[in-house]
Amino acid sequence: MSNEREVIGIHAEAKRGNPLAHVFDELTRFCRARSLFMLHYCTGCGAIELPPAMTSRFDMERLGIQPMVTPRQADILLVTGYVSVKTLKRIILTYEQMSAPKYVIGICSCTVNGGMYWQSYATAKVLKAYLPVDMYIAGCMPRPEAVIAGLRALIDDIEADRAESWKRYYQHYDHYLGNQQSLFGDDWQTPTDILAEAEHYGLLGEHTRGKHTALLERHQRPLEALEMRLRVPEEPE
Amino acid sequence: MSRAIEHILRDLEHIAIRHDSERRVRIDLASEALPALLELLKGRAGFVHLSAISCVDWIDSGEFELVYHLWSYELNTLVSAHIRIPRDPGVYLSVYDLYQPAAFFERDIHEMFGLYFEGSPDMRPFILTEWNGPPPMRKDFDSEAFVNQTFQWETYHPDWLKDLEEQGGGIDKRPEDIR
Repeated sequence: MSNEREVIGIHAEAKRGNPLAHVFDELTRFCRARSLFMLHYCTGCGAIELPPAMTSRFDMERLGIQPMVTPRQADILLVTGYVSVKTLKRIILTYEQMSAPKYVIGICSCTVNGGMYWQSYATAKVLKAYLPVDMYIAGCMPRPEAVIAGLRALIDDIEADRAESWKRYYQHYDHYLGNQQSLFGDDWQTPTDILAEAEHYGLLGEHTRGKHTALLERHQRPLEALEMRLRVPEEPE
Repeated sequence: MSRAIEHILRDLEHIAIRHDSERRVRIDLASEALPALLELLKGRAGFVHLSAISCVDWIDSGEFELVYHLWSYELNTLVSAHIRIPRDPGVYLSVYDLYQPAAFFERDIHEMFGLYFEGSPDMRPFILTEWNGPPPMRKDFDSEAFVNQTFQWETYHPDWLKDLEEQGGGIDKRPEDIR
């Protein structure tokens, strides 16, 4: 008992005197790793392996993983297959809408290095260059066992506090934005203000701002609320 | 069935009709005669459905081949009308006035092959995103050079491979060498 108290005491110093902070962190991670909502952005053929992985044959739900319908309520973004330039835009928009902590899994060889579309003019080859990717599940395409194994590895990572790619997106935003701008042009802007978010959450790193974000800030327009207008047709007299 | 088509097209000169099978007819003709052919087929034989327009780049002979696929619900027959036009300047007439779906096919071919259709309602960029390169489906478009210039590659040198290479093994052909 006294030994345990000592252990807690050591962490208490690090956690600004709150003896329960470490416990809560661990509990949070424990719970977080066991209730993951997954947004599968089915970009390519790898999506065909997800229905068996989700339904009764391999049953993802026993790991606490369920599909989710909106990005704002999802924890995992699953990118299954080749990413065309047009799709990549949507993936980035989706990713930025998700609330932290968020994890990205790239499935299939195509997200790793272009796969069999390595010579195509239309697909982006390295997903990692545009988004922080927590885990790749390679294969063309990976079987549901491999998908489940990858998700288990992600669960272990979350529990051990290793899956922190979403922080990397804030801390190295200049790098990611630069790669996005090289594909989408210099006037690329997403509705989400990543710089303001990074500042708000205290995740500004030394690589958050750079020449690419400077370019963004030069033309960035603040997000305006959509105008709601109700048009009532006038009654004929 | 096929005799009916031949009868309808008897006035057109310099066309070659080939019956590939019972319900497939291939017609090769000069590019000037295509509007007349389409009009005859549509008006007399009920070929009201333009399924697709496809384009082939014959770079060695300096020609584009355009194939108009037409379907008749009365004859249940697919007619493919093949024409060839010079690759340079690569301009042809739109058939939008006869078949309105042609607008999308022509817009697509314009984007992918750079072929211009006079009289087509809309020749703006269509499917490609942020594209400022040459039309990508042309045979002289170097896809590999474009990819190397535009996209990044993942370098893959894991530790276990280094260990193997120290022992004299390793990858026989590297992806870089194949590219």
